[in-house]
Amino acid sequence: MALRSKTFIRRAEREDLDTVVAWMEDSDFQLFLYGDPARSPKQIREQIVSMLGRSSAQTVPGGLYLIIDSAAHGPLGLLSLQNISWRNRNCSIDLYMGRKEMRHKLVAGISFYRAMQYVFEELNLHRVNAYIYSFNEASWRILERMGGVRELTLPEHVARDGKLYDLYGYGLLRHEFEAFKEKNPHMVEDLVESMTGSNSGADKTTEKAAETDS
Amino acid sequence: MIKGAHSVIRTADPDDAEALKSVYDSQTPRSSLLDQRRELIAPTRDELREVMSQKEMGKAVFYTVEDVGGEICGFCCLRGSNPEAQFSEFVVIFLEESTFSTPMADEVFDFLSRLAFERMRNQKVVTHCLDSEAEYRKFLISHGFRSAGVQRDVLYSQGRWFNLEALTLRARDVAFSAGGVR
Repeated sequence: MALRSKTFIRRAEREDLDTVVAWMEDSDFQLFLYGDPARSPKQIREQIVSMLGRSSAQTVPGGLYLIIDSAAHGPLGLLSLQNISWRNRNCSIDLYMGRKEMRHKLVAGISFYRAMQYVFEELNLHRVNAYIYSFNEASWRILERMGGVRELTLPEHVARDGKLYDLYGYGLLRHEFEAFKEKNPHMVEDLVESMTGSNSGADKTTEKAAETDS
Repeated sequence: MIKGAHSVIRTADPDDAEALKSVYDSQTPRSSLLDQRRELIAPTRDELREVMSQKEMGKAVFYTVEDVGGEICGFCCLRGSNPEAQFSEFVVIFLEESTFSTPMADEVFDFLSRLAFERMRNQKVVTHCLDSEAEYRKFLISHGFRSAGVQRDVLYSQGRWFNLEALTLRARDVAFSAGGVR
């Protein structure tokens, strides 16, 4: 994959199975994404094996499950692109930072930026959908920061711990992501520097990012 | 079978496949015909017959709407029910879009909303319409649905992009008539 740097996206391997099972068993995964806490580890494992099996390298799959990896820290999270429509050139995205200590905005932002580069610049898609629960503010803030538009607010749409929460539907079009890159050239450079470890001309934020992600 | 003044609503059967096929074959893209990836699908008559045989337990029940003369005019159902968050997707399809402005459509709304809110105890229903479905949208708004927003460039068909609007209707916002279709 052409996106390799200190933080990079790659296809999930069989060796990732135990890591991904552990992430999916975590209560945070079920809170922010989906899953049934009563599911047995065996069922989760079988689901993941079938997910990984669908990520064919040579066909045009309807879903892709990718690992966000770091040269220094190992696997950081899981990126899934689902309901990929090659006709409508869009997909839905779920991004889960499995390493909790890496969940701060910068690493999550870099990971999301990488995902968008992959979606628009490698897969040549036109639109990305993201459905985010209203209480997951850190996630929807990142999406808004990158130019995503909150298109839907579905009231009382998801049940968690006996309460109903709103669901936000975000859309990010390719030209919006490109506009984000144009309008924020320094931010992008900072992100890239933080990912490649190059600190030339970097400000304090970049240096901190490079430290965090090196 | 549920008889109203302007309609007869009954569970669909395989012999209704021909009428449903004509909906899939029409030139107007309809939100209710999109699959999970929001792509328009083109099922065969046999595939539709299989779906309409309604053999699968737990699947949404699909209803056929006829006029009082027995002519099939459309279909309706509640699908994708989410018991945890207590909502379902509300779907009404008419062979002719102009039917949405007739009393028959009001009877279908009455039937489906009673099913959703009284029998299934949903707290809301959700539906979608493409920007090509002006009559359907007008019908929804006239029955109290509110827009939850518009997703841009969701469907590519006929050489252009279509937007998809989501609309919701909450149980507390519905006022049933004393009579109505049950």
